[in-house]
Amino acid sequence: MTGRVCRGCGGTDIELDAARGDAVCTGCGSVLEDNIIVSEVQFVENSGGGSSAVGQFVSLDGAGKTPTLGGGFHVNLGKESRAQTLQNGRRQIHHLGNQLQLNQHCLDTAFNFFKMAVSKHLTRGRKMAHVIAACLYLVCRTEGTPHMLLDLSDLLQVNVYVLGKTFLLLARELCINAPAIDPCLYIPRFAHLLEFGEKNHEVSMTALRLLQRMKRDWMHTGRRPSGLCGAALLVAARMHDFRRTVKEVISVVKVCESTLRKRLTEFEDTPTSQLTVDEFMKIDLEEECDPPSYTAGQRKLRLKQVPAALFQLEQVLSKKLEEVEGEISTYQDAIENELESSRPKAKGALANLTRDGSVEDTTSSVFGEDDAEDEELEAAASHLNKDFYQEILGSGLSSSSEGAGDPEEGARPPALESLLGPLPTAASLGISDSIRECISSQSQDPTDACGDGELDLSGIDDLEIDRYILNEAEARVKAELWMRENAEYLREQREKEARIAKEKELGIYKEHKPKKSCKRREPIQASTAGEAIEKMLEQKKISSKINYSVLRDLNSKGGGGLQEEDAQPEGRTATRKLSRRKTPARRHRADPGTSVGKRLRPMVSAQPAKKAAAGEPLPLSPSTLGAEPARPTAVLVESGPVSYHPEDDPDEDDPDEDDGEPCVSALQMMGSGDYGCDGEEDDGY
Amino acid sequence: MDADSDVALDILITNVVCVFRTRCHLNLRKIALEGANVIYKRDVGKVLMKLRKPRITATIWSSGKIICTGATSEEEAKFGARRLARSLQKLGFQVIFTDFKVVNVLAVCNMPFEIRLPEFTKNNRPHASYEPELHPAVCYRIKSLRATLQIFSTGSITVTGPNVKAVATAVEQIYPFVFESRKEIL
Repeated sequence: MTGRVCRGCGGTDIELDAARGDAVCTGCGSVLEDNIIVSEVQFVENSGGGSSAVGQFVSLDGAGKTPTLGGGFHVNLGKESRAQTLQNGRRQIHHLGNQLQLNQHCLDTAFNFFKMAVSKHLTRGRKMAHVIAACLYLVCRTEGTPHMLLDLSDLLQVNVYVLGKTFLLLARELCINAPAIDPCLYIPRFAHLLEFGEKNHEVSMTALRLLQRMKRDWMHTGRRPSGLCGAALLVAARMHDFRRTVKEVISVVKVCESTLRKRLTEFEDTPTSQLTVDEFMKIDLEEECDPPSYTAGQRKLRLKQVPAALFQLEQVLSKKLEEVEGEISTYQDAIENELESSRPKAKGALANLTRDGSVEDTTSSVFGEDDAEDEELEAAASHLNKDFYQEILGSGLSSSSEGAGDPEEGARPPALESLLGPLPTAASLGISDSIRECISSQSQDPTDACGDGELDLSGIDDLEIDRYILNEAEARVKAELWMRENAEYLREQREKEARIAKEKELGIYKEHKPKKSCKRREPIQASTAGEAIEKMLEQKKISSKINYSVLRDLNSKGGGGLQEEDAQPEGRTATRKLSRRKTPARRHRADPGTSVGKRLRPMVSAQPAKKAAAGEPLPLSPSTLGAEPARPTAVLVESGPVSYHPEDDPDEDDPDEDDGEPCVSALQMMGSGDYGCDGEEDDGY
Repeated sequence: MDADSDVALDILITNVVCVFRTRCHLNLRKIALEGANVIYKRDVGKVLMKLRKPRITATIWSSGKIICTGATSEEEAKFGARRLARSLQKLGFQVIFTDFKVVNVLAVCNMPFEIRLPEFTKNNRPHASYEPELHPAVCYRIKSLRATLQIFSTGSITVTGPNVKAVATAVEQIYPFVFESRKEIL
């Protein structure tokens, strides 16, 4: 057949069997080659009379879907899931990317980022949508497309900062250095949205020029690019005689109105804004401005300094004023003295009395002088004096009644008292300072730092700490208040406790937490492997997509089959009667590994529409209405037992039969539709 | 201005957070009912207590763990923690003061010049990230010190780190980089 020479006998008569995939020398019978990959296309005729190509569609990146010959089944399982994730991601990237009007190249790059993220396990604990949005944004940044994170968050209805977090993490973990955003990118996009018509280009050029100027004036650092674009576009539009309101602009650039206004006022502060339109287009100012927030900060600082200076000035002034006042008062005293000496003596005596009535000596001395003058006056004076004395004694120096004597002295004592009030705190403040010093010295020695457990009481003022603790009466009042405030909660709590107690009495109370942990730890006890598997499957649900009721059904059937097989051979034939299709499968059971791979194949590749129909007669629970996903996964899970194969040889047949079962029943329901599968299997073998 | 010249930078510590354990269960309701300056958050299961003298706020958990925030130095934090422990003792708990630890220090620092953020970010790529869409400052992480710096274009820098020393070294480390991309004075 071919121009090859047999290694064994040197014959050239070599037969190639495409179906089996081997090359055999017809002369000596030695197998020269097996597992040849077949590159032929075969067609089959189905029941309807139409023909179709044998095989399955393998997409570019659907490596997980190719039928693996042999190999560990669990590896395959993992691959399936990963492939599914990738497929989902691809679909979602396409969906989102088309909404953003990204080109195919960007989408592919985004998908590559996504693949990297998946392989680095960065999708775990994050929402798929967030990761995908982050991937897309990463592409936007690296490719420099005019998309903002805000657009993505708008599409997904997710908080920008959540997306930002995911994006930053991805960028860091994947070591992608996204270049800093250039606000100029967004200008054409926003200009287009603002509909400038024919002058679109000119307006955007002006806006770009404005933006460049703003950049040089330090307006763009730390600012959202969209806000800057908005300001630039607004100004540019006005320069070109377009009437665009602030509202129109903010609806396009998606920033707050006040933000835009702030940007505009900041621009107003730059020297460029003082130029006319023509000047602006021609002249480039050389100097740069300070960042607006910096100048604002400086201004604030200066403003703060002004009051401080004022305060100092005031203090100086008040000091000066006091000095002047002191001088004035000395002058006053002198003047008064002068006046006193110039007054008639009798009046002087009275004045003396009024001035310092409490002083006896002076009055008596005054009286001595008065004696000589006038008796009447003396009588009057003594009378007055007595009155004063009595008054003074009666009031007992309690300042206020003394009023006539000296107002200053009366005013001082209460002031002193009020001063005395805060004195203790001042004292304690002083103490606390010393305490602080103590502590700082203590914390330096290492014994204290390690914390042996005893509370170091040094420097702690117990008296003050007591103030943080309410006394009994206060605590009682507070407790009462609290109880009243939380009456409902307390009542609920009491009711709950009562209920629990009641349940405990009745013996129906279940403590929730401990039981859960118990259940988990419970070891599987089973007499046979099948039973164990059944129990295991019951305990931990492997997937929500598995129809467990069907599984149980299969297991019980399989178990029955095993018993029958062992007991009487008729049972075997009985099961075999179910379908002729089973016999070839039996024949090849020598190699369980390959048979697994092959058995899986018809399930995956069989026409889905028919399978859906086939699924119906089976006892399906409503949870697996879509028979399509349920079928293949059911078979996959069945493979769990297969992996046990090597360990328990006597039960080898049992899981295998289980595997065969759904295949059989499904195909049986299809009636005559098994030709396609037949051919396929033959092809495989 | 020279990078080498000793420009005295004022690092102003604004917050020190510390934790300690009391090694005993704390009855939060008792604290709430008998203490002054307390807020009992029953739904979260914690009590907030404020002290006057070192002005701190403490979060007290019933497990006996206490977090003190608001101090402006490590010493002050420790003093506040001890005072809080003492007041708990006075409330009748068998408080043992252990595992005192300063966990976070926040400080601000002003550079005497402005900083070109895009340039700075470009030069310090893996550590610095600048996203004006999200935050106006550059976020610079120093892994070895476990410190994070927020660098603003105006020259003010906010530093967070596990302790005061780390914060100080972080500022020292960042200074040359920041100086490199400062705005030239014309």
